[in-house]
Amino acid sequence: MPEDDLADEASHLTIDGDNPNGDDIGFAAKRLAHEARKTLSSGGGSRGIRDVTQEFAAAAKLLQPGQLVKDEYFTLFEAVGALEIMDPKMDSGYVPPGDTLEPDFDVCKGLPAEQVLWIMDELLRLTAVWHDGYPLSQTIFTSLHVDRLLSPDNRPPYHLFYGDTALLVMTTEQRLVHIVLRAYCIALVKSCALVLHTIQSQNFYEEEDFVTHLFGRELLPSTGANDAVKLIDEAVKFLDGADVDKVMRTALLERLQFARTYISLLVSDSADWNTLAAMGRSAETHKLAQPILEAFSDKVQRQLATSTPPRPMIIISWDEALERWKAICADIVEADRLTCFDVCQSPHALHRAIWAFAYREPQPNTFARAYLQTILFASEQITEGMAFFDLMLTDMRDLVLAGDVLVDPHSFLVEIPSDPRHKCSRIVETFMDKAFDEYMNLYRMVCQNRCRIRRTFTQSVAIFDSLETEAMRTDAELDGITPGIVLAGEDGPGNVTLTPLTSWVKYYKLQTMAWTIQLGFETDIYLPHELSMMYWYLMVFARRERKLLEHIERFLAARQKTFVSSRDARQDDEAAASQEWLAVLHKQADFTALLSSALWQVSELLMTLCILQPAKRDYAQEQLLYDVRMKSYLGIAHDPIPTLEEYKSATQSDRSIEDTCNNINGTIADAKSCLAYMKKTTPEQGKYIGTGEQWKREIKQLETTCVAVAVQTSQLRRVADKHGKLLGAPRDQSLKGAVEVSIPPAGSRYHDWWVVPQIREKKT
Amino acid sequence: MESVQDVQYLDDLLNKTLHLHITDGRMFVGQLKCTDNERNIILAMTHEYRQPSPADVKLAAERHEKGGLPGNVKVDMRKRFLGLVVVPGQYIEKMEVEGPRTPHLTLEADAFDVLTSR
Repeated sequence: MPEDDLADEASHLTIDGDNPNGDDIGFAAKRLAHEARKTLSSGGGSRGIRDVTQEFAAAAKLLQPGQLVKDEYFTLFEAVGALEIMDPKMDSGYVPPGDTLEPDFDVCKGLPAEQVLWIMDELLRLTAVWHDGYPLSQTIFTSLHVDRLLSPDNRPPYHLFYGDTALLVMTTEQRLVHIVLRAYCIALVKSCALVLHTIQSQNFYEEEDFVTHLFGRELLPSTGANDAVKLIDEAVKFLDGADVDKVMRTALLERLQFARTYISLLVSDSADWNTLAAMGRSAETHKLAQPILEAFSDKVQRQLATSTPPRPMIIISWDEALERWKAICADIVEADRLTCFDVCQSPHALHRAIWAFAYREPQPNTFARAYLQTILFASEQITEGMAFFDLMLTDMRDLVLAGDVLVDPHSFLVEIPSDPRHKCSRIVETFMDKAFDEYMNLYRMVCQNRCRIRRTFTQSVAIFDSLETEAMRTDAELDGITPGIVLAGEDGPGNVTLTPLTSWVKYYKLQTMAWTIQLGFETDIYLPHELSMMYWYLMVFARRERKLLEHIERFLAARQKTFVSSRDARQDDEAAASQEWLAVLHKQADFTALLSSALWQVSELLMTLCILQPAKRDYAQEQLLYDVRMKSYLGIAHDPIPTLEEYKSATQSDRSIEDTCNNINGTIADAKSCLAYMKKTTPEQGKYIGTGEQWKREIKQLETTCVAVAVQTSQLRRVADKHGKLLGAPRDQSLKGAVEVSIPPAGSRYHDWWVVPQIREKKT
Repeated sequence: MESVQDVQYLDDLLNKTLHLHITDGRMFVGQLKCTDNERNIILAMTHEYRQPSPADVKLAAERHEKGGLPGNVKVDMRKRFLGLVVVPGQYIEKMEVEGPRTPHLTLEADAFDVLTSR
């Protein structure tokens, strides 16, 4: 039978590839085949229907209570997600007794200007809520006028009425609905389609960030954005000559202009969203609007294709909605500014710009972040004259190979096959190809929501580590063609070379490792008693980064000595700029190492003094907990992370409280001097062009954090002194019961990446 | 003995497409995944169908006339996709299964005929 053949074929479906989920896919394929076989085994092509009511009832009655007849692959876990029909909380199609299926409102009837104004403002409000990520079924689709326009029964050109009523002579009030309100609705709906297109063309997370579900409706496919603009223009023309009160006319025209500007901005590539923000001032006329609540209803959900239970309409105030609109416009304008030509010339400056965008308050919404991604990734280049390849090459040049012929763009143009520059360029290109995706992720992933930034970076760590293997191989190959500078080893005998590509990958690997921990503090994934260990690891990673930067700086200095003084100044300038920047990076790594050292010592002291303790867990084993927490870092092959034993042996529990406090203060003082250095850095030196404000603000926050650490330390010292425990070894002491500690949550810290425990003496 | 036979009957219906008509007039069409002795039914890939309203009928008739089409007016039932649903046995009035049968009974599930008022 042909159906059996199809079922057989389905069962032979295999999916190739070294897939860790191979078992799951195999299982899914088997299930698919099984279901296909059963569905199709009803045989024949004709879909006949057979009444089985009595037979089924009789058969079911013979089952034991609680006995289930179910498909072998169907799990009860899945069953939990089933919508229960006739339960008002789950069945969106349930009509309570006495209620009607559809709202009793005639969308074709004429309305006074005040009510039309209210509907338009209500739609503005709902569009702002939709931008926040709420589904259309709870926002724009609840408008009965929009519902009619989008109804599956409707046909282009999408009027509110069906049939030939167009030929009727309309009153002014009817025209307000059929010309003005209709044009407005169509423009807003097309704008939704454009926003959705932008969001879905870029990276985002469904349900977490935004709901793109259209509930079985289409967004007026036969009408384009230009058609919508034309309709608005016609509505404006009508209003100009209409018999409407002057103030109301102005108000309605403002709304139409808003919709027109909004959709025009979405369609054009380079437009000023400030113009839309300026319209927020039209809020004044909102007071004139007369509510007409019947024009909106959640009953529309009864007819929408939805696999979810019925959901309420969303309520935010008109003022809040205006604030949202202002924020969206401000974010878009800032996204344009942060990715201007000058910023894009420096990969690091661009990187800082994207982080600055992500850390705007309030956090930019999904559309704004998709807009930023579109600017960066939608075309083949970052900006005019800067292809992705150029960006990456510049990055390598700025960081590890300033003034070196290896990454000189001209080297890549050499065509003579025997020329070492030609050979090396091809090798470098091959390596860059391999590193491309993960490198671009450094930019793209920062455009996601905070939790996802952390999660993707934990995965990046492993990828960078395997790239490092590739880099080592490539460096060896390059060194064979054009031997690099050799210097005496930094620690121990023997010589070392720069291994530029390896150093470059290592830098980003270490930087990503540090970010994952710091984002972990921000997203509150560590328990209070884990602060000590995480700060220790952050310190280790920062120290390694500092050491790596020292290594690179040594070779830069050596390379600078080889520059022929008669050569063009470009090489010198490049090297000088890189030197200045590396010095800044060095200071930053230094700072991170110092502050995390201070906080490690603080938290460790609190633990040793029994002020901060993990909850009692009888079955928790230290090594297992460690393995789970450090999972993302355990697989690192190159410079593996210190083990749990190594961490434990780093504890300072035999030093007196006084000594520890002194040490912390000394560390903080050093950290502060790093900040002083960074304060004096220019945007060119620090490569923070375009983000000067954020740079200054962050330094201020870090200074405050340093002061806070010193304050808490002196608190602790004071209490210890009071109890006479200042001088003995901490492990023999306990201040339990004498001191309270609280951990400030993210949002109420001086800097969200640094958790400073708040120490308070308990009053007896 | 009988129970085993009838369990087999129900088992044979698994993954077949059922049409469930419930007390409020709606119809649910989906693949049978699970049932129990209270006749509670879990359907997958379910579509919900509603009888067309008088307004729907009127609109269809108007369009039919305007288009100058011959014969009876066909009014589609309103249909929407729901996914996985469970229909409590107490609300089921009629149950049908799709399958091979007498060929002349090709009742299309998503339309029903209405005679024009002419």
